[in-house]
Amino acid sequence: MADSLSKSELLRYSRHVLLPEVGVEGQQRIKSARILVVGAGGLGSPIVLYLAAAGVGTIGIVDFDKVDLSNLQRQIIYVNSDVGSSKVERASKRAGELNPEINLVQHDIKLSSENAIDLFNQYDLIVDGTDNFATRYLVNDACVLTDKPNVYGSIYRFEGQASVFVHDGGPCYRCIFPTPPPQDAVPNCAEGGVLGVMAGLIGCIQATEALKIVLNKGETLKGSLLLYDALSIKFDKLRVPRDPDCKICGSNPTITKLEDIVVSCSTKTISASDLHSQIKSGDKLVLLDVRTPEEVAICRLENSINIPIVDLQDRLNELDKQANIVVYCKSGARSAKAAELLTQDAFVHVRNLEGGILAWIRDIDSSLNVY
Amino acid sequence: MLVHIPSPLRSYTGNKSEIQSDGSSVDDLLINLDKSYPGIRFRMIDEQGGIREHIKFYVNREQIKSINIALNGNEEIHIICALSGG
Repeated sequence: MADSLSKSELLRYSRHVLLPEVGVEGQQRIKSARILVVGAGGLGSPIVLYLAAAGVGTIGIVDFDKVDLSNLQRQIIYVNSDVGSSKVERASKRAGELNPEINLVQHDIKLSSENAIDLFNQYDLIVDGTDNFATRYLVNDACVLTDKPNVYGSIYRFEGQASVFVHDGGPCYRCIFPTPPPQDAVPNCAEGGVLGVMAGLIGCIQATEALKIVLNKGETLKGSLLLYDALSIKFDKLRVPRDPDCKICGSNPTITKLEDIVVSCSTKTISASDLHSQIKSGDKLVLLDVRTPEEVAICRLENSINIPIVDLQDRLNELDKQANIVVYCKSGARSAKAAELLTQDAFVHVRNLEGGILAWIRDIDSSLNVY
Repeated sequence: MLVHIPSPLRSYTGNKSEIQSDGSSVDDLLINLDKSYPGIRFRMIDEQGGIREHIKFYVNREQIKSINIALNGNEEIHIICALSGG
């Protein structure tokens, strides 16, 4: 069996081979494995690095994005000079430098209902390192339809979750959360922030689970949701039963083919350029900034008023119900929720700034600080 | 009873991850939580009184599907919220 690994491979993986749970046979299994990592961001960085170091024979990386300066606080596979470059290209290069004995496949594409099934069919196992609900549901659904294990992880602020879905008769992501929340219901890391280390912690758990599945050793997170709270340094594990009525993996599924996931948004919007035109033409507008004071300190629109979204319900009396209000936040999700709240409370003219202050900075005023 | 609050809802609880509250049922508990932390219930329960699909409740580590579950005051409650970040 030792013949299946070269001399240099036996040396490189010697600390694995010494483990009774791995040995030469297990290392050969790792070498034969084909793993697809969806998302080369915070989670994807440690996942790709550890799977490459471990000797996973084929690692596919899916991402269509470019490296941004704001990524480097947690996306440790990149270095400063990578800013502006293709993520899959740089991540593959770095992982290849770490381990030239493996095959790295670059998928510089946006995962969609058109390409996911064909792509997933080329791999044994999928690791979900995405950063948005639409892609998470797409990954889950494609895993169910191709019967591939889905090693899941997600993070927000000081909190992380991990699980293994669609594995050995266990539940899928929709068994816990049947449909994606509306766009404005749950803030993402770009809006709420995340401690960079969280990506490492949860990403490493995902890489560990992926290797355990390949090795067929130990107990996986199948049927459990692992919760980690860094502030109180508490791990918790809650049981997640398979839902017999699940829309995609239940006994009478209503989802039988892959469709792009639409995350709904119910409020009226205004683009940054239209808002700029209206301000220039002298329209009387109330610019309502619903971000936190910490964010306002970084950048703000001139003449805006700040009521953080958590205080909005209690401070509605500060606003005129007949006023022409444009609500904004960082990228548009929290302000959509705020706009909905105002509309429900009988405010007449409420619009949400599409893309938030980031769109304003991109399209109108690049002198403001980006974060 | 001890209630674990997920990160996306901690803006309502002054960033507290655990709070003590009470109620004779999960529904009652959520009403009491909303009195202490206005607006938090609407983030978990929709206009029809159903649990929002990105929220899960656990009573003593067992998932519940209805908020009409009686409580005796000694339970541990976990509120779980779907997270998207990566």
